[in-house]
Amino acid sequence: MSVAIGKREQRIVAIVWVIGIIVVWELASFLLKYVIQDPMASAKLPYPHIVAMTFVENWKILLEAGLVTFSRAAIGFALGSSVGILLAVLMSLSKTMERIAFPYLIVSQMIPVLGLAPIIFNIVRDMNVSRIMIAAYITFFPVAVNMLSGLKSVEQEKKDLLFSIASSKFKVYQKLMLPFSMSYLFTGLKIAAPMAVTASILVDMLGSKSGIGVKILYSLYSNSSNIFWASVLTSAFMGIISFYVVVFAERLCLPWQKATPRKEGVRA
Amino acid sequence: MNAPEIQIKNVSMVYPVNNGQDIVALTDVNLDIQEGEFISLLGPSGCGKTTLLRIIADLNQPTAGSVAIRGQSPRDIRMQRKYGIVFQNPVLYDWRTVRRNICMPMEIMGIPKKERTARINRVLELVGLQDFGDKYPFELSGGMQQRVGIARALALDPEFLFMDEPFSALDEFTREKLNEDLLSIWSKAKKTVIFVTHNIPESVFLSDRVVVLSPHPGRISAIVDINLPRPRENSIRETPEFYEYVTKIRRSFEGV
Amino acid sequence: MKSKVITILWPLAFGIALILAWQFGLFHKVLDLKPFQLPVPSEIASTLAANLPKALKDCGVTISGALVGMIIGSLMGFMIAAIATFFPKWGYGGMIVVTALNAVPIVALSPIMNLWFSTGMEQKIAVVTVVCMAAMAINGYSGLNNINPYSIDLMHSVAASEWTIFKKLRFPNSLPYIFTASKINIASSIIAAIISEYFAASTSGLGFGIKDNLRKAEMAMGWSYIVVASLAGVILYCVILLVERDALKWHASQK
Ligand SMILES: Nc1ncnc2c1ncn2[C@@H]1O[C@H](COP(=O)(O)OP(=O)(O)O)[C@@H](O)[C@H]1O
Ligand SMILES: [Mg+2]
Repeated sequence: MSVAIGKREQRIVAIVWVIGIIVVWELASFLLKYVIQDPMASAKLPYPHIVAMTFVENWKILLEAGLVTFSRAAIGFALGSSVGILLAVLMSLSKTMERIAFPYLIVSQMIPVLGLAPIIFNIVRDMNVSRIMIAAYITFFPVAVNMLSGLKSVEQEKKDLLFSIASSKFKVYQKLMLPFSMSYLFTGLKIAAPMAVTASILVDMLGSKSGIGVKILYSLYSNSSNIFWASVLTSAFMGIISFYVVVFAERLCLPWQKATPRKEGVRA
Repeated sequence: MNAPEIQIKNVSMVYPVNNGQDIVALTDVNLDIQEGEFISLLGPSGCGKTTLLRIIADLNQPTAGSVAIRGQSPRDIRMQRKYGIVFQNPVLYDWRTVRRNICMPMEIMGIPKKERTARINRVLELVGLQDFGDKYPFELSGGMQQRVGIARALALDPEFLFMDEPFSALDEFTREKLNEDLLSIWSKAKKTVIFVTHNIPESVFLSDRVVVLSPHPGRISAIVDINLPRPRENSIRETPEFYEYVTKIRRSFEGV
Repeated sequence: MKSKVITILWPLAFGIALILAWQFGLFHKVLDLKPFQLPVPSEIASTLAANLPKALKDCGVTISGALVGMIIGSLMGFMIAAIATFFPKWGYGGMIVVTALNAVPIVALSPIMNLWFSTGMEQKIAVVTVVCMAAMAINGYSGLNNINPYSIDLMHSVAASEWTIFKKLRFPNSLPYIFTASKINIASSIIAAIISEYFAASTSGLGFGIKDNLRKAEMAMGWSYIVVASLAGVILYCVILLVERDALKWHASQK
């Protein structure tokens, strides 16, 4: 049965979930350490409160490292989104362009780009540039595909109305196609943002000198498991924050969207 | 008699369908419409009313026959931005408020801002939405949305008004009120109106002539002159003459 | 018929042009690269031909890990979606948490899985499982719940049980969403498997192969691994498409 759930109640339920997860984690750590008596327990699953304390103690280093990674992800994200939007508009303008590009768009997704990181690094020889490139490559696909699906979803009658007053193609895109596709675009951006962060972290781990990925690797190899877990947590927050930044931007940009949450987007 | 304002000659329309069973939406439609006339296209759904209206508006091309408007092609009329159209659905732009929805075609046509604002205020009042100008479409009821669509067409002050079942989503009370309002607008501006509907009393109330279409294949089965006096008010619906017209048209369907 | 030929010809022509441009050094000129940095297609092809058995074996290791992880993860994800559907109030909150988890960078998972599991294969499967679970849970939940309220009312009007509604209405409705998630997961499972091999103790698999060959500066061999991985991805993607076309004959997206 569909239960109408209030916004307030939703929030309470979500908070209870988060608290529940932390409690279960505490319990699991306890069990691992004292009941199963795993000698590696504090590395395998440290207590969340200890991770939190480590996080607080080292917040400055973690924040700094996180910002380095995040800013590269953001540049790549911006670049990839622009390319994706451009490509979608071109494909919607020309059937031939769509025929040529669309199969490669899909194939491009099957190339394990994150796996390509070492090769790209080898080619450009600059950690920051390859970080940006990979984040951009990862971003452009969901953006292009969702934007295109938005451009193609414009109802015929909406176009007819502009056709009926002899609008130019440019005006049709400016006044109708682009604004209409905004909500689809944001669906793509929401998918792409955490992926850009993931890409940036991975490039960190493959031989960068700074960034949160480096923190993860160093602490792992130097057996400082608390820092390791705090870094992993930081990277998790970064992914989640990137998602909510886009959600927030959408709220700001598309106030008419409030009432009609759109269905989930196209990813592959 | 003058040359007809709109001349529809031997128009046929066939929609190609993948399975080979092409749909014949219209066969051999002939119709002359005079300047300033209020014409209704009446018929059950699927008989080709929308198709015919879209052909006149240059949104579809007929597979045979031709349409001439003031001796020009529908395309010329469209390029001169001479008509306003109201669709069966409201066709509003979700990201624009009511005012900016009405504004959209005027923006594209390059009407100056001051003039636009004045026209918006006027048509909003006309359709009774003066308090809703800054709302988004999702904040309006279906009937209100439809009225925005009508206001948008009226704001252009076009020489021709094409309306595709504009009131079919409205309740009976609102519909009758808007019928009356539409007539008063029309009597002031004397536009040529083509009005699509499947509601017999509505067509009788509004029109100079009711063009009755029948389906499979779509064609004109009768044209009924409505000689009720103008200006008409809703009270006319209670007169025996009105009732006679309604009955006559209803009978013409039973014969099919 | 003619349009079908064009649909294939255009992309084909483009692909050939791309490979030719690469072969004859256009990319090298534009990007200012030396041949040893970016091997040309003919070199990659001959290297791949010479090392085909090893490449295929490594590919098999990675793909099998990716597939097993994807299947486990998808099943678990769908189960989460189903449970969340049966308990709407708490399930909805749970789905918010899953959405958040979906934003967690997968790479961070690899080192953790290395702590928890000992063999490379287990680590790989564990990473892929977690990655695939989220996408399936989110899409499955939408599919089970994005239902025309009238169809549910109709079910209730004949006093159908929640289980009947699930079987007759929710599950069929969710099929297109399940395929969407599967298409997403094909790509992400291969990537996740390769990444996990970068960090795991494994000495086989595409990820290990790419890393190892780059360390030894065997660029052409590294590239042939990438070609193999991409081909495997495309083939699996096509398999899903075919199954989808068969299973979803009734759906509008197939017409
Ligand atoms: N774009 C189209 N493609 C195929 N058939 C169509 C199309 N538009 C309308 N038809 C068919 O043409 C016939 C007339 O449709 P329409 O003009 O919309 O009728 P009405 O507006 O009177 O309901 C119907 O049988 C309809 O199914
Ligand atoms: Mg119609």
